[in-house]
Amino acid sequence: MIEVDARGLSCPLPVMRTKDAIADLPGEAVVLVDSGTAKANVENLLADSGYVVTTAQGPDGYRIVGKRD
Amino acid sequence: MGKASGISRTALWLGGGGLIIGAVAAWLVSQGNPGNMGLCIACFLRDTVGFFAGGSANMGAVAYIRPELVGLPLGALAAALAAKEFRARGGSAPLIRFVLGFAFMAGALVFLGCTVRAWLRLGGGDLSALAGIAGIVFGVWIGTVLLRRGFDLGRAGKLGRWAGWVTPAVFAALLLVAALWASGVSMPWATTTPPGAKSTAEKAVIAADGATVLKPAGAKLVDGAVVGADGTVVSAPESVKAAKPMPGGKRAPFLISLIAGLLLGVVAQRTRFCTIGGVRDSILWKRFDLLLGIAGLVVGAAVVNLVFGQFNLGFANQPVAHTDILGSFAGMSIAGLSAVMLGGCPFRQVIMSGEGDADAGMAILGMAAGALAAHGLNVASSAKGLAPLGWPMLAVMAVLLTVIAFAKRGRATS
Repeated sequence: MIEVDARGLSCPLPVMRTKDAIADLPGEAVVLVDSGTAKANVENLLADSGYVVTTAQGPDGYRIVGKRD
Repeated sequence: MGKASGISRTALWLGGGGLIIGAVAAWLVSQGNPGNMGLCIACFLRDTVGFFAGGSANMGAVAYIRPELVGLPLGALAAALAAKEFRARGGSAPLIRFVLGFAFMAGALVFLGCTVRAWLRLGGGDLSALAGIAGIVFGVWIGTVLLRRGFDLGRAGKLGRWAGWVTPAVFAALLLVAALWASGVSMPWATTTPPGAKSTAEKAVIAADGATVLKPAGAKLVDGAVVGADGTVVSAPESVKAAKPMPGGKRAPFLISLIAGLLLGVVAQRTRFCTIGGVRDSILWKRFDLLLGIAGLVVGAAVVNLVFGQFNLGFANQPVAHTDILGSFAGMSIAGLSAVMLGGCPFRQVIMSGEGDADAGMAILGMAAGALAAHGLNVASSAKGLAPLGWPMLAVMAVLLTVIAFAKRGRATS
């Protein structure tokens, strides 16, 4: 499992950091973001990379979890 | 979720958003806004600055609080609150963002339009916009090289809730001033371009009736020429005939402009439309959904322009545009690079300021300062071409951007 803390980063860094982190396609990827834009972009990237995505909202933003077999 | 459905849904969303933005912008031109300037963040922010600084900053031709500009962040604020996406944040290199906003504006005012208007100009058939668009692509490409090498302005942090309200409150105050002005409250300290007025090459101003001379004081029209109070000819008859409408004097009715701004603010907040992201993502990782937003904008604008007879295919004699290819290219290279370094186009900055992003507010403040400097220092272009200090200003901005690029390089690993 890998975890990326992309909170507070400007576009397109949340996607760039996530892309780097999932280069080897780990089974589970957790990405923390704090804006709706970063959330949508990271969710799209994970889905396009074959992950099943679930997102939970917390006080500090969103926790996006991607899982693949 | 399958790959195709993910892409197509975002793409549809963005393409549709772009269509609406382009169509509404072109429609605003039919309602009175300047040609191919139904929506322009740089121009409208500049006009708004002109309202407050007009007389002393050489901005008499571009002075009017644009209700569209004020409506955008307030619409975005409402949309963000409804979607629970409003979040007070800031602290990611605010001063550098101010400088980047300044550089963006300087570049945009050399070209005559922001990264939104560049595409709107194309959608109106203005082929000279292609030089600016080529500049955007070049500037964004440099920006992607910097991003790949680790360019990063640093993290923004969560701020106290009030901090996110500062920029929306400023825009709300602007709306109040604009509404008071529109309802006839006297504001002798403000400058507003007279509606429908035209200006000659010698800067004489003739009122919309075509018979009254507003500037210089005491001048009159005599046999088609503007003659000053002392009897000297200010503008010859040919010059009077060739007088062009002043951009600030062309505007849609107040309420129409405001409602359009609010609507587009909601659309842009929900779709996350960004004129820079579209080019950037295409170069960075061949992701084209944001680019579809731009395509939608051009198509929407072109169709509505055709319907209203505003489409004019050609290179020369386009509304509020010049034909200096090199100047347009260089200006928008600076603007494109600044916008990538900011993380989004000026439209996006305005929308993010409505979502509680105080750093975006700093970028907008920098843009406002850039507008003031560009007009006060004779940097902003006109339909005739580049201003005397256009190139020197672009050179200074290029140096500034280079310094920022080096100062903020290589913090890629998180």
